[in-house]
Amino acid sequence: MNAVTHALSIEVNGRPIEAEVEPRQSLADFLREDLLLTGTHLGCEHGVCGACTILIDGAPARSCIAFPVALEGAKITTIEGLIDDPVMVELRAAFTREHALQCGFCTPGMLVMARDIVLRRPGLDTDAIRHELAGNLCRCTGYVGIIKAIQSVAAERAGEAPLVTRGTLVAPPLYASPLTLPVPPTSRIGIIEPQKAPAAAPEDAAFTIEPLRNPIEIVQEFDVGAPRATVWALFQDPARVIACLPGASLSEPSDGRSLKAEMRVKLGPMQAAFGGVGQISADPSTWSGAIDGRGVDARSATRVQARLVYRLEEKSENGTHVCVDVAYVLQGPLAQMSRGAIARDLAARLTGAFAANLDGAVKGGVLAPQAAPLDAGSLVLSLLKGWLARLFGRG
Amino acid sequence: MKPARFDYLRPADLPTALTALKEDTGAKPLSGGQSLGPMLNLRLARPSLLVHVGALPELRAVEERPDAILYGAAITHAEFEDGAVPDPTPGFLARIARGIAYRAVRNRGTIGGSLAHADPAADWPTTLAALGAQVSLVTLTSLTGHLTAPTLRREMPVEDFITGAFETALGEGEIVEGVVIPRCHGTARFGYRKSCRKVGEFAEAMCAVLYDPARGVFRLAIGATEARQVVIQDARFILQDVDKIDEVLREAGLAADPASFRLRRAVIREAIAALEPESLPA
Repeated sequence: MNAVTHALSIEVNGRPIEAEVEPRQSLADFLREDLLLTGTHLGCEHGVCGACTILIDGAPARSCIAFPVALEGAKITTIEGLIDDPVMVELRAAFTREHALQCGFCTPGMLVMARDIVLRRPGLDTDAIRHELAGNLCRCTGYVGIIKAIQSVAAERAGEAPLVTRGTLVAPPLYASPLTLPVPPTSRIGIIEPQKAPAAAPEDAAFTIEPLRNPIEIVQEFDVGAPRATVWALFQDPARVIACLPGASLSEPSDGRSLKAEMRVKLGPMQAAFGGVGQISADPSTWSGAIDGRGVDARSATRVQARLVYRLEEKSENGTHVCVDVAYVLQGPLAQMSRGAIARDLAARLTGAFAANLDGAVKGGVLAPQAAPLDAGSLVLSLLKGWLARLFGRG
Repeated sequence: MKPARFDYLRPADLPTALTALKEDTGAKPLSGGQSLGPMLNLRLARPSLLVHVGALPELRAVEERPDAILYGAAITHAEFEDGAVPDPTPGFLARIARGIAYRAVRNRGTIGGSLAHADPAADWPTTLAALGAQVSLVTLTSLTGHLTAPTLRREMPVEDFITGAFETALGEGEIVEGVVIPRCHGTARFGYRKSCRKVGEFAEAMCAVLYDPARGVFRLAIGATEARQVVIQDARFILQDVDKIDEVLREAGLAADPASFRLRRAVIREAIAALEPESLPA
């Protein structure tokens, strides 16, 4: 696939720029890599740390999650473009006086945000400044110097009328040193085709069970209307167990002790396809067993490590009580974005769907050959809730 | 931390945008991009095409109606915060907008984008559910045989629109066009509380209460659940006896973890208590 580029007209620090941009290029990368305006710093690259804060049409914004392709005609001001700005002159002096920076990494973003705060809310007290500045992280100063610096400038401007910065024009520098002027983008040196990462096949090495660190744990207990021996037999067949897990399938036939499987999960716009290996152990004397596994989502590099322990208790001649304990650790982007509680909710629903499918499988019900990826939508949820209600006799 | 490759379309008008979204199942609408941006960078979302709907006039419109105000989906949080758009409530919208993420995010992020993203911890879904807002959706009726493809609109309450965590009632090629917020009586009060580990972070507990006796509305919405909001249409029984929230939380399945149960209970109590001092109209 060839990269498509789009023509772009944009104004940076008062200078019109014509460029060809790839849609996925972030504004921060465009400023830094193409225009060589490296005063804008990149920290987290997902809109949390505030280091990349710049002005779009006068109002602060994150340049790491803005795309120039969507900013046709916009006026961008970076820290370089604020060199003569009267408020910035005061702020720079105050930052120096109050020792408001140490390593300087967060400073461009801090200054851009500080300028907006003192203009928009002049005369603010320190508590309110802390609140307004919460989106900019500093790992050196402990914020005391920064807050003092901003407060001193805010206090000087206490009598002035608040100015909504959105849509305001920022005057370009009076004298622009060549270093503060954007360099017109150089013609691209062609698009480097991404090299296909070798298909993830690292799991041939012997699988060793590692203890889970701070796992999220879910306990699910349910009754299945079948004799214990029948349920036990199902648990000894990896293919049938995996088929009960929504979105999961074996990637190769299992020998009954180890398995290779894939699993697809969808949560709104987020999709993951985990591929991984597992190991099965069973203890017939206690009617219990465990499946340990780990996997990687090749797209987001999210790693998952999980342990499923099951225990079968005889309830009656034709009834088995199944206890399933799932413990898992999610690491990487998906864990970052989906946050603990939602991932837990999804996992709980997965476990619930597993229980429902298991009941069906034991009773000889026909499962869809490839269970559909679990959609966190209400349909699955309501189906499940209905099933659980019936199961526990509340419905 | 760079997005996977995608293409970009700045549609000339709404039908063009809807056509593009319907024809390419991998396409996603882009409004302010403050939630989609991070997901693109983390490669959790990999759309084939971004259709920039945020600048379409229909999505930037504000229409005053006798009993409500219609806001285009692409009105930003900052515009609500600054009072750049009219408010059908005695100042509730600006108060909520001020607490969303950070100013740099509020300058770009939009009300419709927040609803379509349907993050359970976001401020608008819970607030708008409590205010009894309706979401206006638009899609194309058909693709063939029309030079100007006719658009089809439907409206539904916010609590029906959001079906789960990050899940909505949006169909294929359908987008949020606007939000209709009913006018509150001047004497209405609004209690709102959320608990975040850090200012601007995702909330761990959230509650919004609308007390509008002149219109007979006593609605309470619990947000930051792990799924959709819990909306209690007539919350008078809770306002009369605050202890009833324990039961409500238990029924909603939000009482399993003792720590989060206590936090939710405290946040709901504070939101109800805030009805008294905070929301008296100036």
